[in-house]
Amino acid sequence: MFRKRKFVCFLLLVFFLIAGCSAVPESKSIQNEETKPLNWDQSVSSLKGETITVLWTGDPQRKKSLRLFSKKTGIKVKEISVDYNSLYNKITVAALSNSSDIDVIEMDNIWGGQFYEGNIVTDLTNVIPKDYLDKFTKSSVESMSYDNHVLGIPLYSSTKHFYWNKELLRKANITSAPKTWKEFKEDSKKLKEKGIYASGWSWKQAESLVSDYVTLLYAFDGRFFDKAGKPVFNQGGGLKALQYMVDLLNKDKTVSPASLQWTESDVENAFSSGKIAMMTNWEGIYPEVNDPKKSSVVGKTDVGLIPGQGKVKSAAVTGTAGVAIAKNSKNKAAALAFLKFIGSKEFQVPYYLKAGWYPSLETAYKDSELLKADTIGKLNKIKEQYKYGVDRPNAPGYVNWSDILAAELHAALRQQKTPKEALNSAVKKIEEAIKGNS
Amino acid sequence: MFSNPLHKQKRISSRAFLNRQRKDYILALFFLLPTFYVLFKTYIFPIYQSFIWSFFKYNLMENTDTSFVGIRNYSDILQSTEFWVSMKRTIYFTGVSVFLELIFGFFCALLLNEIFKGRIIFRVIIIIPWALLTLVNGLLWKYIYQPGYGAFTQLLRFLHIIDPNSNPVWLSNSDNIINFVILSDVWKCTPFITLILLAGMQSISGNLYEAAMIDGAGFWAKIRLITIPQLLPSIIIAIVLRTMGAFKVYDILTVFTGDPTTSVSYLTFNNAFRYFYLGNASAMAWISTLFMLLLIIIYIRILKRNTE
Repeated sequence: MFRKRKFVCFLLLVFFLIAGCSAVPESKSIQNEETKPLNWDQSVSSLKGETITVLWTGDPQRKKSLRLFSKKTGIKVKEISVDYNSLYNKITVAALSNSSDIDVIEMDNIWGGQFYEGNIVTDLTNVIPKDYLDKFTKSSVESMSYDNHVLGIPLYSSTKHFYWNKELLRKANITSAPKTWKEFKEDSKKLKEKGIYASGWSWKQAESLVSDYVTLLYAFDGRFFDKAGKPVFNQGGGLKALQYMVDLLNKDKTVSPASLQWTESDVENAFSSGKIAMMTNWEGIYPEVNDPKKSSVVGKTDVGLIPGQGKVKSAAVTGTAGVAIAKNSKNKAAALAFLKFIGSKEFQVPYYLKAGWYPSLETAYKDSELLKADTIGKLNKIKEQYKYGVDRPNAPGYVNWSDILAAELHAALRQQKTPKEALNSAVKKIEEAIKGNS
Repeated sequence: MFSNPLHKQKRISSRAFLNRQRKDYILALFFLLPTFYVLFKTYIFPIYQSFIWSFFKYNLMENTDTSFVGIRNYSDILQSTEFWVSMKRTIYFTGVSVFLELIFGFFCALLLNEIFKGRIIFRVIIIIPWALLTLVNGLLWKYIYQPGYGAFTQLLRFLHIIDPNSNPVWLSNSDNIINFVILSDVWKCTPFITLILLAGMQSISGNLYEAAMIDGAGFWAKIRLITIPQLLPSIIIAIVLRTMGAFKVYDILTVFTGDPTTSVSYLTFNNAFRYFYLGNASAMAWISTLFMLLLIIIYIRILKRNTE
């Protein structure tokens, strides 16, 4: 008995000694401070033979482009390909362990603040020339920035767009797509009279709900934060936007009620099967919507600007992802060469042609191959929306704020709270979160 | 005084034996060292570290100072509405799902314990839901619960339980979601309980049933007086294992909803790996662990009493 106790005491002692040496939490340190500044104009020939590791959501076209990059530069690439849902965890876990195994990471636009403040990505503000960034679509460059810091190169351009079913609109004697949210509401009522669900939305309690709210908030000329950084979306345009959403769903009843448990892919499915007449959704729904095997609305749909309201012509939430250089990377120069390649026509044009992702490089839209490939004539309509991209706040606490906001928006949509109550509560909780972390 | 050479011989051989025993002991420890090291690094140390973190304000991604806050994280959590909502939902989920799984599992085990043609096929089939990944199970049920064309709505319409023109949105409300998660969890985990109880039933002696039959016991009397008392250890093990599993419910919820207050694990995960509030998340994890420890203590006591 005594020996047993002695053994347990000994184990405990070892345990405390070893654990005590390193258990005190430390703020994430930067293991690999820049030894020499990155040079945008550095020749790739000096980097030949280096190997970089890229962590992103892979697809066959991206894989092909990696081979092209290696062939062109002599830099070898090791690819770690994961699905989007695992990406964030992979990146953060690698960063938490101070691993320098990953050189380039894919960064969604809402992670910018977290990745910058958390020392996960390298600040490229003084590395990438401003005139180079001017070659990209405005919304995509903004998506890759946080607090005036440039963090990466956009892989593609992405915002939500407005899609409609021409046939269903015709049935309700609607000759053109709505240009304002007021017109949208009126058209929705006409469609309802014909027994058609006018629209479907991604209003599941998730990020997709916040995305739709942000689109409407900016359309109604609202603001998320004031200049002092105080959340103000519970007044003005923010409040009008939520009231509008609640009215569409519960008063006008023109929205498919299933919207409350739908994300974007569910909305797309409903649109493709002709169950809803209008939707806002990300680009890239074509060619599926025009594929007879997957869609019953082939050739019956069109795309254009998301409606605006008053002096706002249009507003669309952005969803661009880009590539950034990991702060702990030991091959930053080679990683920078890779970023340069991603921003080039050599990547951007085939990425649209083969995978359907719209270029972030503005000049790519004049490419003859690209124009030739646009057989359905949607390219410029999609591109036009990129002028009106609006970002979700990508500050470090955004992921938490988004969860808070999604819960309150959902409560308002389910009529458990009035829009005013819901937004006041969201503002209060977000203020507490900001205060608690400052 | 001369010592007896026989005794001396004995002493030497017993010393040699002790030496050999000690050598074996050291060798065993040596072989155990790699396992101990891995377990220490991946299990014991993180537990200890999370305990330390739970007393710190430690927000990793916000470039803010890390500071010792004492028990503030614990008191904040215990005062937080979100935590109690998620705890209430977790307890409700655990209680109801384990109860239903036990009832269905018991009757499934009774059926599969009978001798009938194709019994082996049924025993294999029943494992299929258990073999599914929880996420796949979640996706499957998400499609079943789709409004309008989902199988659940269609079935209720077919049975005239709901109006043919009504289109309920099953997964719109977090309180409702828990009930639907229970349904899908019962479908998936009943086979687990069935298998445990079936194994227990097979060890019950047939003589007991024969004796009961001679005494005129009917079906329910046999269950009440023989099957359940004999099966009690298996039932307790099944309850405890499932309770611990159900209390940690997380992955299926991520398919059904983005609301982290649907379970304590979901809320803890989000605090730790979405917001990176590691101090707060560690405290939350420790509070949940204490709940679990309480359950385990109750289980050990019941098991001990049962064995005695």
